[in-house]
Order: sequence, then structure tokens, then C-alpha cells
Amino acid sequence: MTAEKLLTRNFGRADSHTLRAYLESGGYTAWQKAQALEPAAITEEVKQSNLRGLGGAGFPTGTKWSFIPKHHTGPVYLVINADEGEPGTFKDRYLLEREPHALIEGMLIAARAIRAAKGFVYIRGEYVEPWRRFSAAVKEAYDAGYLGRGLDVVVHRGAGAYICGEETGLISSLEGKKGWPKVKPPFPAIKGAFGMPTIVNNVETICHVPHIINRGAAWFASLGTKTQGGTRIFSVSGRVRKPGIYEASVAITLRALIYELAGGVAGNGRLKAVVPGGSSAAILRADEIDVTADVDGLRNAGTMAGSAGVIVMDETVSIPEALMVVARFYAHESCGQCTPCRESTGWIYQMTKRIVEGRGRKDDLDTILDVARRGAGTTICAFYDGAVGPYISYIEKFRAEFEALIPN
Amino acid sequence: MSVGNDAPGAWNRPPSGRAGLADPAPRVAFTAEQLAEARRLQSLYPDPRGALLPVLQMAQDAFGYISLPVEEYVAGLFNLSPAHVHEVVTFYTLFFREPKGRHVVAVCHNLSCHLAGAPEIVARLKARLGIEVGETTEDGKVTLQSVECLCACEHAPMMQVDDRYELGLTPEKVDRILEGLR
Amino acid sequence: MPRLTINGGEVEVPPGTNLIEAARKVGVEIPHYCYHPGLSVAGQCRLCMVDIEKTPRPTIACNTQAAEGMVVWTETDRVKETRRSVMEFHLINHPLDCPVCDQAGECWLQIYYMKHGLYEPRMMDEKVHKPKAVPLGPHVILDAERCILCSRCVRFCDEITGTGELGIFHRGDHSEIGLFPGRELANKYSGNVVDICPVGALTDRDFRFQVRVWYLDATKSVCPGCARGCNIDVHVNRRRPHHAEGRRVARLKPRVNADVNTWWICDAGRYGFTFVDDKTRLVTPSRRDGEAVTDVAWDQAVSAVAAALERAAPGEVAVVASAKMANEDLWALRRLLVHRGIRRVGFRIPPRVPGDEDAFLIKADKNPNSLGAELIGLEGNVRDLLAAARARQVKVLWIFGHDLFESALPEADVAAALRGAETVIFTGTSANATSERARWVLPAAAWVEREGTYTNFQGRVQRFRRAVEPLGQALAEWDILGRVLQALGAEATPPRAERWFRELAAAVPAFAGLTYQAIGDAGVMVTR
Repeated sequence: MTAEKLLTRNFGRADSHTLRAYLESGGYTAWQKAQALEPAAITEEVKQSNLRGLGGAGFPTGTKWSFIPKHHTGPVYLVINADEGEPGTFKDRYLLEREPHALIEGMLIAARAIRAAKGFVYIRGEYVEPWRRFSAAVKEAYDAGYLGRGLDVVVHRGAGAYICGEETGLISSLEGKKGWPKVKPPFPAIKGAFGMPTIVNNVETICHVPHIINRGAAWFASLGTKTQGGTRIFSVSGRVRKPGIYEASVAITLRALIYELAGGVAGNGRLKAVVPGGSSAAILRADEIDVTADVDGLRNAGTMAGSAGVIVMDETVSIPEALMVVARFYAHESCGQCTPCRESTGWIYQMTKRIVEGRGRKDDLDTILDVARRGAGTTICAFYDGAVGPYISYIEKFRAEFEALIPN
Repeated sequence: MSVGNDAPGAWNRPPSGRAGLADPAPRVAFTAEQLAEARRLQSLYPDPRGALLPVLQMAQDAFGYISLPVEEYVAGLFNLSPAHVHEVVTFYTLFFREPKGRHVVAVCHNLSCHLAGAPEIVARLKARLGIEVGETTEDGKVTLQSVECLCACEHAPMMQVDDRYELGLTPEKVDRILEGLR
Repeated sequence: MPRLTINGGEVEVPPGTNLIEAARKVGVEIPHYCYHPGLSVAGQCRLCMVDIEKTPRPTIACNTQAAEGMVVWTETDRVKETRRSVMEFHLINHPLDCPVCDQAGECWLQIYYMKHGLYEPRMMDEKVHKPKAVPLGPHVILDAERCILCSRCVRFCDEITGTGELGIFHRGDHSEIGLFPGRELANKYSGNVVDICPVGALTDRDFRFQVRVWYLDATKSVCPGCARGCNIDVHVNRRRPHHAEGRRVARLKPRVNADVNTWWICDAGRYGFTFVDDKTRLVTPSRRDGEAVTDVAWDQAVSAVAAALERAAPGEVAVVASAKMANEDLWALRRLLVHRGIRRVGFRIPPRVPGDEDAFLIKADKNPNSLGAELIGLEGNVRDLLAAARARQVKVLWIFGHDLFESALPEADVAAALRGAETVIFTGTSANATSERARWVLPAAAWVEREGTYTNFQGRVQRFRRAVEPLGQALAEWDILGRVLQALGAEATPPRAERWFRELAAAVPAFAGLTYQAIGDAGVMVTR
């Protein structure tokens, strides 16, 4: 299942971030090719490739592009979500640092498809080195004439807020506001950044685009499953022997990923649980990992592919303590806009903390489950649903472990 | 008593004008060069407000932290209400509203780092620095923070020291890093 | 125009109408906090969920536009459960301090909890603490713990006044509304944030702790503070007068009128009623002889005034009317002028400081009825009139309401005019430097103590109604003038404001065809 490397093919080179290295590996030839294609043809090619958003939501990329109103005459913006922040995910950091020109080339092609003349790359504020590397690449691309002739790119730095990884939270932030997600409708493709039609795509998603244009949608689609094409970069961390990034077909199973690529389980060596798609994904027990890691495969398994941040836990890990850490994160990062999320993330963190500290109450577990179920699906953005994933799955799948901590 | 917490009717155009927004006598100001850079940043966005985060980042670099007078000054540059700048400054974690240490040490305490021993790293830092999380050492050298995922989980536990990611921490490595700070 | 079905009832609404407004049209109330028809849609309280057929889960009504053929259900089990949940979320960190909260009785947390909540509380942990009893400005005080962060007040300051004083700071459950530190909420419309705050977070510094709201009665009225005539409700404490130490008018609240003031009123109008119960109120007719002031009966005062008018030739009488008087009063005055053949009249007194005006509600003319006075034919040159008095050509000078000393007229000229007239008559609600120079003082009822109509600057005739009894023996000006007219042997005068208005409508073309019934609650335009 270790498919050909696309995104990470140059990572072995120390100078992979430079224009020279990128050109030597065939860089910007896809852009050459795309310039001869009609925008609609590019979008169609990406649709056929079954490329799906790799930031978390897994939405079909070509379909997203096709939502830009056909007869819009004003500006259209392409926004790159490089606000990587999903706990357990670190792939975009690598791409920004080691393959920045792939992102730029992908942006050129995507911008042509959606008729955007301006692109923004929103990089999380903590990413200093990735920002420097990417900014240097942008400068190279301007100097070489790739940028500045139909597409201008503004590199924008975030200032510390997970919610800005949500596409409309990101747009608010890009507009100079708090990162409050926007009520939908209107969706960004209709009315996005600065009130104009906007496409927001993840770094990794866009880095795939040159490969699709170069080698064709059918080839790309064939790398994955029926409903999702290509490879993706899995970020593997936690209790594995070889934590790191692994580019593999989206159709790889979690078991192969953990045992064949990441060297197997560390700690006491016995697997207890896996979070397959960043902390917002529901947790899987050790006996649930024989599933493919594509969007639909993991959805069918009751969890999600998310950002492909795979966090592995061996038997020595305390699941209640892990939930407390995760609950603290959601309480800290809730933007405060919608009532259910704002008011309950802090409360649920307090309950999980009490349980871990031995001060749990009999009703706490059912209260958390009930509150989470009631809040799910009631908010403007998917943040709260992302919190609900762990709240419910950790408790449902490891209830005895929680109960053991609650005094009689 | 109640007649509904609102009632239907037509929309009336609000008045224009944003009276009393700019600080009449700013106590801080950019240099001419910084001001030019701020204006350049504003020109990059379809609405100059897009440059608010970058200009606040500049202001933090220029003034050390974002005091209320800095917020008012920046509000003036953007013709915004200071309250709206305050909203932004209090929303994001990378804006410091009080003087910070010469170095900021931010330890990740999220899941992968927690599994790899982040609590021990935090304990070591607190003991060595003699401060709690969120505090700055008396000599003004180090501000200690405990933060959410910095997305370098493959090297957990990790922390950020100013611009640098320090990876694969052990208590001993933490000591060495602290010793290296000037 | 899209046609849709809400709870089985069909309704047709203009394009762009959201489901909350569409539902109102069929008498269905969709509970909500953050939505306000005068503000942009925020969609953050999550309470206004409804079920729309072919939509997988409940959707917020505020951000959903009515569409052709849409089938909406607002009371499905799923919607009711969602509402119950959202109510619980709203109250997780709320202090539940209703017994000491001034909003109690008109709090939408209380109202909706009883209607849509009624869950068993299960939040046993420490609530988030936030600033309490923080004065935001001259009129508004904040309790951030009671705030549900609906952002209505923030949007009001952004979208209506454009002043942007308020923001929501921090994030998550530490989010709180507030001002930029050191600034205050002192725009000219600040009191409106109290009205639109659905909970006890923003309360009125003037009103709070005066009286529980369930002891208040509301009367429809019109603000007399400027030429706009914003529609208001007068809230009166009749049932627990001891609670407010004799203050009868508890507060004024805006009343929606899409053509005049929409949902809002200015602070000057909102807090401009205190004269009603002030010590300076004139409460009995009186006669002054030098320093000595003697209370007299109405009959005595009326016959003395009539006698003075009869003694003087028509050219020796001058009347300074007031555009603070109602149309009915002004018509009664007009009849008196005609009856006696008096020509010297005017009503425009130049203010010492020009009134402030903005592009929103506030008008520079601080009188509610200048257009009415003009249409009724009381225009005239007040400076000439006073010059005549100074030249001792005026025997009787009758002044309505004005303190001529508080105007742009030179103080010496005013004093000379008042000295120059043989008999000065003053009719008004409150004592002032001018009334103190009058031989006869005839106390007038304040606008909240009587009925009447004003004609605003747009030409809209609007009714105000009696909220409280007149103080002491004060009477409406039409009543005073009617009595004088009778003493002068005029034809029968109407006993009620409405009948005066009927006379006015029959006599003055601009008011032709208008009746109190036609004016209703929203007012009617004059013919011009």
C-alpha cells in the first residue's frame, strides 16, 4: 500500500524548498499545461480525479470549485488554509517547509480554474520557519515570473486560534476580525473573503493539483478508492515506534499504517486505541483498525479521516486523562460565538477533570454524553461536532475505565 | 408588560460617520518607516482592515507588547473603534497584552505531547524558572506558557522558544535550552 | 412573492423575508435572542430552530429566507427538544439571580425557560465569573455574568449609531461584552441597548431598582422632545407608588413605528420626562402682586384673564404660543384669537443654543408640534411682538410654556417686554423665570397627563394618550383656553380633546378628514 510518493517525493533533498530543486523534479510543467486548458476543463479534471479536501472535511475539491458563480464579474479569491492546528497533524508544516513551490504551482492552476487573480495563504502564526520558507519561495516565484502575471499571492500570518482553521473563521480572521465562523448561507463560494466569491483549500489539497494536471485524473483516481483519489500524508504520533509523516494511498488501512509504516506500537507494545483523523475524530478501539483510511472508509467506521492525524495509544494510556486533555483543548479554542459550544465545552472539561482527579459524580458520564448529543449539529460551524466526536466515543468505548475513577 | 423582545417593521438606514474613534493624542506611534510598512500591508488587501493582524504583529515587535495605547493607535491607523481592535487582540493567543519576557517558552500540552510526557516538561520548566505557567521570571528573561497543539507531534514532547521549535524534549534537554537563553 | 406553509398555515411574504418574520405573519412565535429585525443576522443564539421539510436537521429560522413551497414546522418534538437543550446551554453559566435582577418580569431567559426550557438543572460545577455592576456610561450598567452574548448591543453600536463602543472580548466561555477600557457608552442613543438586551445584562441606571416591572402600566404616547415625535410607551407606576418615592413616570420605551423612529429613540427623549414629577411643576392657578403669590380658584383666574382680555383692544393683546402645545390646544388658541380679533401672535422662540441634529432621529427643532402650529396659523414674528410690548403697546401678554429668558432673545429686551405689558399671563407645566414675572399663572397638564396630537416634521399627526392624572389642578391648555373662551361669551367649547380635534379637522384644510380613529397608533399624514 505504499504508493508512489507525490507530495513528499523531494523530501529527501536538503534543498527541496528551492525553485531549482522543484524545477529539476519537473516543477511548473503542470502550470504550463494548465495554461492551455479552459478553466472549466481544469475544474472537470480535478472533479474526475476524486481529489477530496485534505484539511478535514473531505469535500470533493472540483465540486467546491464549481460553486463559484458562473457570471460573477468582480474579484474571486483563492485562499489557502495553512492554519494547521488539528491536534495530531503536522503534514502542512512539512509541505510549506519542503515543497512550497508545489503549493504555488497548485495555486496558479486552481486560480486559473476559478478565475482568481489574488490568492491568500493563511499560515498559522506559530509557524515561523514554514512562513519564512514559503515566503522565500513566493519571492522566487515572483522573480521567475510565475507569480505577478495574473496571480498575486499575499502571505498572511495568523495570530493563534485553532478556529481559524475553519474556513469561514479563517476568512473572518483574514478580514482583520476575530476568527468567528460565519453563518451559512451564504457559503464562501458565493460570498466569502471581503464579500467576494472565495475558495478555501487546504495546503495538501492544492499541492496535489499539479500532479493531477500532469498525469491525469484517471491516474490520480486510481491511486485511491472509488470515492477518493490519490495519496495523502498521514501524520502519525503518540505511542508508535516511528512517529512521523507517511505518504500513502488514501486506501491504506490503519493497521498497515501503524504496523508497516510507523513501526508498530510503542509503550507496552499492545494497542489500546487510535484516533485516526486528528483529535476531532472519534476514537477507535484496537479491534477497529482494519479499515481503510479514506474519507468514506472511516466514515463507515463511525469516525472520520479528518486531517489524517493519527494518534496511537498503547494499553498504558489512560483514556479519561486523554479525554481531559482533549476537552481542555476544545474549551480553550471555542470561539465563543454559538451558545451550545461556548457554554458546554468549559463545563465538559470541568467534568472530565473532576473525574480524572477522583471527584467524579455518578451522573457525570451520562451528563457529558447527553449534553454532547444535544449540542451536536446545533452550531454555526463544525468545531463543536469535532469536540463531540471524542466526548462521546471516548466514554462509550472505554466507559468502564471512566467508571473506575468515579468514587462510589 | 412584555410586547415581544422586538417587533416587526422596516429598516431605517443607519447614520454614517464614526465619531470619536481615533485617539486624539496617541501616546505611541510607529516610525515613518514602520508607518509606511503598515500602509503597504493595508494596500495588499481588498479592504485595508485585512492587514489588522499583520500590523498588530508589527506593533508587538515594535513596542514589545500590545498595550491599550497601542490598540488605540492601531485603531486610528485603521479608522476602527478601539473596542474592535480590543476584540481582536483578546481573541488571539499570540498577542501579549502585558510586557513579556525576552524569551517566550511555550510548551505544547496537547494529546501527543501529553502522551510523551509534557506534564513532566512543564514541571521541569516551572521548577527551573521558579514561576507558574503564564508568568514571567523576575529578571524579565522568560515568559512560560502552556499551549495547545503546535503541530510537531512526531517529535513530542516539544515546545516553542521564540521563533524556534525545540523538539523531542527531555528534562535534561530543557535544562540545556534554558541555559542557552540570554 | 414566495408562498410557504408554516405549521400548516399558508403565508405569502416579500422575497428576502426570513422565517421568524414569516411566522409572525401567521401568528407563530419562533423564540429567539440574537435576531432583531432592526439589526443584521448573527445566528449565534441557536434558539430559533425550526424543522423544514426535506432538511435533515433543525435549521435556524433567522438566517433562512422564505422560499416558494417551503414547508416549515416549528413545534415538532425534535425542535422542542433542541430548544430545551439550547435553553439549558444558555443558562449553564448564568448566575440565576432573578430575585435581585432588575430584568425579572421582562427577562427572556425567564419567559423562554418557562415556555421552552423546564429541564432539571444539572450544572453542579463552578460557573465562569465575569464583571458585575459595571457602569458603561451615564445610562447603562452591565452585569457580564447575566449576558448571553447575543451581540445585539454590539451590533446596535456598529450598525445603528456607527460608534462601535462595544465589543465581545476574549473567547470561549470567557467571552464577555464590554467597552474599550477607559471609554464609555455615551452615544446619543445608548439607552436602546437596554431595550434590545433580552436579559438582565444591560439595565437602565435611571430605572433600575425603582419598581418591579410587573407593577408598571404602559400607555401609548409620542415623545415631545423634538420635531420627529418618536413613538413611545410611557411606563407608569400606579400600583406601587411608594416604591418610587412619588415618581409616577417610571420610564419611556420606544414603540415601533416604521415610518418615524423604527425601533429606537434617543437618550434625550428617553430621559427627558423628569420634569413631570419635578418640584417646579405648577399645580394651582395663582395671582402675583409684587412678591406675594396667592393661589386662586380656576373660576377666579379664568374670569380675571377674560376680563383683562376684554379690557384691552385686540391690538393691545399679544400671545406667545408654543410648539410644545398639542394641535387641540393650538386650535383652541386660534379660536380665541379669532374671537377677540387678536393679531399679535407667534410661537417660534429662537433657542439660545441651536438644537443638535443628526442624520438619524434627532431634529434640531426641539418642539414636537412646530408644523402643527404653522398649519393652524399661529406663525408670527415674536421679536416684533416683544418690541411692541417694550414700547408699551401691549396691555396683555400671554405666554405659553416658554421661559423667554432661556432663549436667544436679549435678556434685557425680554425683561423690558415683560415690564412693558400691563398684565402678563403664563400658562405652562413648570415654573421658570418668565412665569415668575406673570401676574396670572395658569398651570398646564404635562403631555403624559392628557390626550392630544402633535404634527411632526414629516407632517404626520400622531396621538399621545393620558398615562397619569394631571398633577394638582393642572389642566390641558385646550381646557384652559376653552374656559376663557366661555368666559368671553364664545359659543360652546368642546369638553374633550378629541372633539377639539374634530373642530380642527373641519376648519383647517391640512387636517381635513382626520379623526382620532384614523390616526390610530401609527399616525396619519396631513394634506399639504
